[in-house]
Amino acid sequence: MLPMRPELLKGHLDALLLAVLEPGPQHGYAVIEALRSGSNGTLDLPTGTVYPALHRLERAGLIASDWQTVGGRRRRAYHLTSAGHAALGDQRAIWDQFSTAMTTVLTRRTWPATA
Amino acid sequence: MASHRINASVGVDRQHTAYLADLAARLHGPRRRREAILTELRDGLHHATEDRLADGLPPEQAATAAIAQFGTPQAVADAFAGELAAAYARRTIAWYIATGPFVGIWWLLLLHPSPWRTGLIAFVAAIPVIPLIAVAIATAGATLATTGRLMRWLPETGPHRALTAATAIAVLCLTGDLTMITVLGLSGTPLRSLAVIATAASLTRIACSITTIRHAARVVSSMRSR
Repeated sequence: MLPMRPELLKGHLDALLLAVLEPGPQHGYAVIEALRSGSNGTLDLPTGTVYPALHRLERAGLIASDWQTVGGRRRRAYHLTSAGHAALGDQRAIWDQFSTAMTTVLTRRTWPATA
Repeated sequence: MASHRINASVGVDRQHTAYLADLAARLHGPRRRREAILTELRDGLHHATEDRLADGLPPEQAATAAIAQFGTPQAVADAFAGELAAAYARRTIAWYIATGPFVGIWWLLLLHPSPWRTGLIAFVAAIPVIPLIAVAIATAGATLATTGRLMRWLPETGPHRALTAATAIAVLCLTGDLTMITVLGLSGTPLRSLAVIATAASLTRIACSITTIRHAARVVSSMRSR
């Protein structure tokens, strides 16, 4: 498998994080693991990238967090807000359009010769 | 066996604590935010270490591998620098918005125009810093909006620009407070209790503004050096 360059994810990280949180609340490390396992190891993002991105999404009101105490440790669990659900729907529609266009252009075929 | 487990746990905790202490020294921003980040990362490190233990690594190697996954303290601090700068800028701007009326009200009561002179020009003549206040309020509102929930619809203001905006608001308030104290001094108004309170409020804010400007400059320079 070709290595995934982090810059390729630029602009898509928000959508990925929202999608991971769609099924239910998760803490930061679980989000990182869900991205890794959900992509069969392709999206192995640096931890330092994911936590600040989650904080930024919370600042934008797309996700919210609650502090819980589990086994004597404080844990921060993130969940989607209603604005986050709406934003994820928008991001999916944009991605569908984008990926269809990219696939169409990148698929090997014979281009018509220009006169 | 139990004592081995306890010793291993102590060793793992020590590795986590040393890593987080190194990271804490490199984070700059509001104290509560920094504490929340460190608490959250401690929990994450614990999970990452548990995963490595489940894979069969011995405790100390598991902790080392978990720490390596998180990245060097400097790399993690760099990744959080923007969020912490944005948090500092937003908190500073919110402070100016919240405290502004408590300073302005005394000057308004002291220097308000005569009842028979109405209109904006009369107000500006009596309180010449009104245009500065208007610019500061507009800057504050725009920055809060574009670094918060409204950034879903408006172009997002980056941390660097948010800090610049917070600094600009501090400079405007500093200029406004100095101007008002100078106006009062030149007007020959007798030093009534109202004048003393207004001057004291402005002097307090001048001190806060100088602190803000110096702190924001330090955060900007630390962001540039990364």
